[in-house]
Amino acid sequence: MSELSLQRGIAALRAEIDAPVAAFFSSCVHCGLCAEACLFYQETRDPQYTPIKKLEPLRRVWQAEFTLFGRLKGLFGLNKKVTDELLAEWEPLLYDSCTMCARCSLVCPVGNDIQYMIRKTREGMAASGHVPEGLITAAGRAVRTGSPMGLQWKTLQVQIDHVQSSSGLTVPIDQEGVDYLVMLSSMEVINFPEYLEAITKIFDHAGVTWTLSTDCFEATNAGIQIGNKDIGRVLVQRIYDAAVKLKVKNVISPECGHAYTAVRWEGPNLIGKPYPFRVFHIIEVLDELRASGRIKTEGKEDDRLSMHDPCNLGRKSGVIQQQRNLMDLVADNFVDLKEHGRYQWCCGAGGGVSSNERAAELKMTAFKRKKAQIEEVAPERMVTMCATCRTQLEEGLEEFNMDIPVVGLTEMIAEHLVEK
Amino acid sequence: MPIVVDGKTFETDEEGYLANINDWVPGVASVMAKEDDLELTEEHWDIINFLREYYEEYQIAPAVRVLTKAVGKKLGKDKGNSKYLYGLFPYGPAKQACRYAGLPKPTGCV
Repeated sequence: MSELSLQRGIAALRAEIDAPVAAFFSSCVHCGLCAEACLFYQETRDPQYTPIKKLEPLRRVWQAEFTLFGRLKGLFGLNKKVTDELLAEWEPLLYDSCTMCARCSLVCPVGNDIQYMIRKTREGMAASGHVPEGLITAAGRAVRTGSPMGLQWKTLQVQIDHVQSSSGLTVPIDQEGVDYLVMLSSMEVINFPEYLEAITKIFDHAGVTWTLSTDCFEATNAGIQIGNKDIGRVLVQRIYDAAVKLKVKNVISPECGHAYTAVRWEGPNLIGKPYPFRVFHIIEVLDELRASGRIKTEGKEDDRLSMHDPCNLGRKSGVIQQQRNLMDLVADNFVDLKEHGRYQWCCGAGGGVSSNERAAELKMTAFKRKKAQIEEVAPERMVTMCATCRTQLEEGLEEFNMDIPVVGLTEMIAEHLVEK
Repeated sequence: MPIVVDGKTFETDEEGYLANINDWVPGVASVMAKEDDLELTEEHWDIINFLREYYEEYQIAPAVRVLTKAVGKKLGKDKGNSKYLYGLFPYGPAKQACRYAGLPKPTGCV
């Protein structure tokens, strides 16, 4: 990379250092608990995967420019510099071995939000050009075509046609003033079209008014994953515009975990204004419908089922009880993984890891934690509610010759609806 | 680099994917396979033809998990698994098979 891009990266790191970051770095007691909480350290025992160590580029800028000691050292040229070599060396640590699952943030005894700092350090990495190729191309496609996979409405239309002919129901498109605007992820459109069919059936059953938007159907956010606020903002603004144009009261994020946190938590700050609508994950909406008696189910699954909580949903957003309420509705033999909810373990594929080819092997190594958790309770099937988690679970279980199908909770609910 | 099939030249992008999907003829797959020292069997052709139909319907080149699942649905579980598909296309079933089928490079989600 050029000197100019290095300077751009350092400037971005500097701009990311706010009061919390400064407090976090000066509070770190070097206890190493974050390593024990990290999927990647746990499964490799490689000390370079200690979460706080992954922040070295950001830490160096903080120390040199935001501490008295660092400034004094700077007078004698004694500070360790952020160089192109350093950033190149740290790129795999920040992108391949971190899914931003935030388990480290949860266990830190002094309350350092390490995941928040990873997200910020990625801003510097992106500005300096030290980013995995898969994320760059995905982010480019997301901005250019509206989808990280380059998937267009015509593909979604094919799936809509399939859903309509198999369910006999209509998938509403561009309906103004309805209760919910439903957003999707490209992976849900192409690989899990059963999700669209399920919500079509459930909303018909519960008398919910909803719509898709031809202006914007995709809500994954490559800007968040790569670490670029400008891209993040563009992608959130599209959802905002579509929701405002259709005058909807609520937006349902895709099942996809990071898409939910991107639009639900980061979104208003990214675009710099509050939403005139509310944002929910489908699981929250379904549980609300359940609680108000609008979902009537019959029969229950009787095989042994367990569940994977997506990090973005469970740990980062506190959506934990809702999916269990829904499981109770349709499953007789449900058993939780030992560590679940807030303390669950990540599947190993989030935070952009799944789109990073270089990380493919490490991603499977990281999956061994989930594998061990699953073996512990020996379910006949796994249930989850995020397309990336689901893809990783399917891939990992196949890799390790475990014949355990993975199903989506929303689809399972749809299968048990009482016929009208 | 362009490839030559039966005396006709086909443009490709820098990674060897056909520049124009509509130009494709079966000979393209044969020539590309030969360059990779791979002999195309009927099993390879099943996947290549499947991909042609898949693209025709969905207008997207499937990434490996998407391909695996879609093959499983259409051709059965013993073909819809990555071990079988990697056996046929050692450079990665989605990328290599899409290239032979004249599709663009498959893309993943984030």
